[in-house]
Amino acid sequence: MAAASVIARRGKADACAAAITAHYGVTLPTGPRRAASGDVVFAGVGPWRWIATAEGADAAEFVAQLRERLVFVAAVTDQSDARLVVRLRGPRVRDVLAKGVPVDLHPRAFKAGDVATTLVAHIGVQIDMLDDGPTYLIAAPRSMAGSFWSWLTASAAEFGYDVSRS
Amino acid sequence: MSGTHRLQSGGLIDRGKPLSFSFDCESHAGFAGDTLASALVANGVKLVGRSFKYHRPRGIFTAGSEEPNALVELRGGVRREPNTRATVTELYDGLIAASQNRWPSLRHDIGAVNDRLSRFLVAGFYYKTFMWPAKFWELLYEPLIRRAAGLGRAAGAEDPDIYEKAFAHCDVLVIGAGPAGLMATLAAGRTGARVILADEDFRLGGRLLAERCEIGGRPAVDWVAEIEAELAAMPDVRIMRRTAVTGVYDHGQYSAIERVNDHVATPPEHEPRQRSWKIVAKRAVLAAGAHERAIAFGNNDRPGVMLAGAARTYVNRFAAAPGRRLAVFTNNDDGPRTAADAREAGIEVAAVIDSRTGARVTRVRGRHGVRLIDVADADGRTSTIECDALAVSGGWNPAVHLTCHLGGKPVWNDEIAAFVPGALPPGMTVAGAAAGALTLARCLGGGMTAGVTAAAACGFAIAAITQPRADDEGAAVTAMWHVKDSRGKAFVDLQNDVTTKDVALATQEGFGSVEHLKRYTTLGMATDQGKTANVLGLAILAQASARAIPQVGTTTYRPPYVPVSFGAMAGHHRGRDFRPTRLPPSHAWATEQGAVFVEAGAWLRAQYYPRAGEADWLKTVNREVAATRAHVGVCDVSTLGKIEIEGANAGVFLDRVYANTFSTLPVGKARYGLMLREDGFVMDDGTASRLAPERFFMTTTTAQAVRVMQHLEFCHQVLWPALDVQMVSVSEQWAQFSIAGPRSRDVLAKLVDADLGDAAFPHLGCREVTACGVAARLFRLSFSGELAYELAVPARHGDATIRAIMAAGAEFGITPYGTEALGVMRIEKGHVAGNEINGQLTARDLGLGRMMSTKKDFVGRVMAQRPALLDPERPALVGFKPVDGARRLRAGAHFLKIGAGATAENDEGYMTSVAYSPMVKSWIGLGVLRRGPERIGERVRAYDPVRNGDVEVEVTSPIFVDPEGARLHG
Amino acid sequence: MRINCPYCGPRGNEEFAYLGDATVRRPDPAAEDAAAQFYEYVYLRDNPAGSHRELWYHGGGCRSWLVVTRNIRTHEISDVAFADAGDKP
Repeated sequence: MAAASVIARRGKADACAAAITAHYGVTLPTGPRRAASGDVVFAGVGPWRWIATAEGADAAEFVAQLRERLVFVAAVTDQSDARLVVRLRGPRVRDVLAKGVPVDLHPRAFKAGDVATTLVAHIGVQIDMLDDGPTYLIAAPRSMAGSFWSWLTASAAEFGYDVSRS
Repeated sequence: MSGTHRLQSGGLIDRGKPLSFSFDCESHAGFAGDTLASALVANGVKLVGRSFKYHRPRGIFTAGSEEPNALVELRGGVRREPNTRATVTELYDGLIAASQNRWPSLRHDIGAVNDRLSRFLVAGFYYKTFMWPAKFWELLYEPLIRRAAGLGRAAGAEDPDIYEKAFAHCDVLVIGAGPAGLMATLAAGRTGARVILADEDFRLGGRLLAERCEIGGRPAVDWVAEIEAELAAMPDVRIMRRTAVTGVYDHGQYSAIERVNDHVATPPEHEPRQRSWKIVAKRAVLAAGAHERAIAFGNNDRPGVMLAGAARTYVNRFAAAPGRRLAVFTNNDDGPRTAADAREAGIEVAAVIDSRTGARVTRVRGRHGVRLIDVADADGRTSTIECDALAVSGGWNPAVHLTCHLGGKPVWNDEIAAFVPGALPPGMTVAGAAAGALTLARCLGGGMTAGVTAAAACGFAIAAITQPRADDEGAAVTAMWHVKDSRGKAFVDLQNDVTTKDVALATQEGFGSVEHLKRYTTLGMATDQGKTANVLGLAILAQASARAIPQVGTTTYRPPYVPVSFGAMAGHHRGRDFRPTRLPPSHAWATEQGAVFVEAGAWLRAQYYPRAGEADWLKTVNREVAATRAHVGVCDVSTLGKIEIEGANAGVFLDRVYANTFSTLPVGKARYGLMLREDGFVMDDGTASRLAPERFFMTTTTAQAVRVMQHLEFCHQVLWPALDVQMVSVSEQWAQFSIAGPRSRDVLAKLVDADLGDAAFPHLGCREVTACGVAARLFRLSFSGELAYELAVPARHGDATIRAIMAAGAEFGITPYGTEALGVMRIEKGHVAGNEINGQLTARDLGLGRMMSTKKDFVGRVMAQRPALLDPERPALVGFKPVDGARRLRAGAHFLKIGAGATAENDEGYMTSVAYSPMVKSWIGLGVLRRGPERIGERVRAYDPVRNGDVEVEVTSPIFVDPEGARLHG
Repeated sequence: MRINCPYCGPRGNEEFAYLGDATVRRPDPAAEDAAAQFYEYVYLRDNPAGSHRELWYHGGGCRSWLVVTRNIRTHEISDVAFADAGDKP
């Protein structure tokens, strides 16, 4: 998965949003939400800051194109190698996540399309809710992948889990 | 057979599920639904432990988490757990428990001699006795006290079980599942609010399980079952059994401890034993009930003396008779109720001594269990009554604890002669007995109102609910604390062996404040936190000091409400998972090489790479240094903080955060940068490279990476928001390797597609290259002083890249080096690092004063010019070599003039870093010395009293190797 | 404590780093009495027993510096705003 951080330049938030709408056909979320256009997703992770991802894309190409399209309106930085991304689904996913995610994931509080950046087991993560399955994506820093995995598997062990690579 | 004292019928036990257990190696039988305490009662076991100080025989005093006496060692081997309250330990088949604080046996305990010496073991005994002579303390007193202190034995081995932490969120948290809590949950749940109902018991119902009472014309337990079924069907109501809410924190946060698998011998695979919860609730209803309190009278601690409410619990809930002939001593309407329940269960009632008539119990007789009680009436006539159990009720204390955790003070209520909640934590309401409403109908009504109100406050519309019919039983009480004509010790706090005399003595000796009383006598400390004792103690204090109880006040209630194990507090975070471990991209490769690793903050870095035959680490490190300086070495430096900074004002921004100038840096060049704090001291150093006119790449030290990022965000967002500058950490994105040594260029030439000649790529150059087919960045930077490069590749290629570097370097003798060799080489070059950037030294101190630009403002500029920081007497950076080349240096040693005494006034500075230099062939050091740069060639003492170090050293230039910098160019 | 981050919503204080007084302003370094002003800016703080404006950094979340108005006697938080108001959404 290619990934890049996108930070709107000072005073260029509107221009940045317009450029993204023009090139990707999505409305850039202003809060912690995600907007998808095909395989390209923009997830809000802070004021004027997004993580753009593209499933299956070549990292260098995706980042170069994004940078070109947002030249002078946003700072674009490759983060394709910075993260471990896991997709979690199943009826007990919320029970697993409750063992470390401090954010309220009840369906009334955190809905499909919502994004949260938070700390899980002292590790900074980005959590996206994809659908009401429920399915979640969690991105953790590459260097802490082992510790994150240790927490995740320990938390899921009680319920049982399968692992597959995508 | 399930016990000599098991009633023939009744109780909420499952007689179809017999369980066997052992106590002090003796086998007993119980039923599912029993606690260890109820099973012991049912088996006629009265003596269950010895008291803390006097080793007096003790029995079961309560039926809940407030138990002061019945503390046992539960389970065995690595799962042995001391100080477990038998009253909240669910019985399971095969349970093993043992009594504590006795030797050689519970019945014959040598320590009981303390009871005979008790005249001397009064309050303050330790403070008064173990004061003099001072030298006896370490040799005699401390070992003596340590041996006598404490109850029970810890397992002494690592706990094999799993513990967890978890988060929960709700609209309404209901604490306690008695009548008030159940009504509150039902009322809130019906509105559709998200409700959590937490109760420490394994069964919902609270006191309804323990009393013979009716709700809506039916037995109360049937009503409980009906409510429980309705709640279970509500998708947004969560019932948490075996879960005690232990603390209240700001803004609606609550801690709770769930004893998930304490009721089985071994938790099922992958399941935790305990889980500690952090619950976030918009509103809370505290329905924690009340604790019954004792009355102080002679020998009121004997096994068989029990709180009346506990006696009813054992009879009604557990079908276990506390005795065959029961006497009741009371100051309130619970006395007659207890007698009635006992008679109904077929237990003989010897007497009801009601203090409201002037009658009182003056003494209990029978050492290992109640045999007789001495009673006096209002006219002073005395009699002796034969009985084997005595139920005591001194009234009820609302469980106000959780209302006080944010500083609320309880207030005295004369009507029930008890403290009731005062100012409440925001968002909390109190219902039922916890609010001082001690009767059933008031509990049901109060709970219902609280539930409705709490849900409404969260925006939920009121749903239909009616209050079920119940009677308001009698609850009249006339305070009675202490039988003054008692004979024998009258205990206030059973767990800490505090008597009425101790309270009086403390008052007499000036410890009249309730907080002083607690510290002086230990009243209210330990596992029960004085739940049955505190109010009694301060009432006696009030009497002794001729004050009213509200004037005396209470001690401070703090979390946790009940004991919480360390395992539950740690959860997943123990051993390797104590905190996250960060692994650099070459970690797998370094492991294959047999590297020894060191923790550097959260990172695990290769410290050195030992080879077969190298006897100690120093040999290895010397080899790594020598090989790098002679040929070429490679080191993973991915752990450096890496930040990309982009924007029209990026250069200006760097000028403001670094002491030196970056706006003039050409594209394709890197520069060393020094960052100060606003107070003028050095904060961090690193490099910044200009990748494009508006894009910089900054590195920070490994240790300060997070702090620097936060500081830069502060400078941008708070100080200069108008600047067009965007920054993001790329520490995780890039794997970065330092390739150093005279042959480094030769190695890189095989890997990258660029002209590496001095002209095309000079020192401090940076450029984008293709390395091993991957888009990479190459920097010509040197920390070692050698011709050196840093090659950065996207992190996924890090492992392949280190292997490619090693393969390409083989013909040049490439050697991987770790953090030790890195440290040696930078000390040899006099480069400062974390030891020198210690928060106490300025740029001038470090010999970097000239880096501070005079042409621009920057963070720390003004404060760095303070006169005291410009004082030439300040210690400044120089190098040191032992005069005797064989001597070892130690960082932390302080410098003294030769011949000067080792006093603080003579202190001239200190050694910051040392290393053995294979180039200099002796130990070398960096340090700060008063007027150091002027004293090169002079000799001083490096004095290190902590490690018996006293070495004469010569002051040198901080640069030990290649002072001209010729090696930088290969 | 929980702080209602204007971007992320309410979060526990473990996600935040505390800095201190948000009312002090970095002095003009060119001012004649810059040394005295900087001394005050770096070291001197009021300690009001009541409402206090303070800087918190949401490092465990959106990385925003926030100005939190908090009653330091009761911990009641009456307002949370971005330190960098800028042209934020």
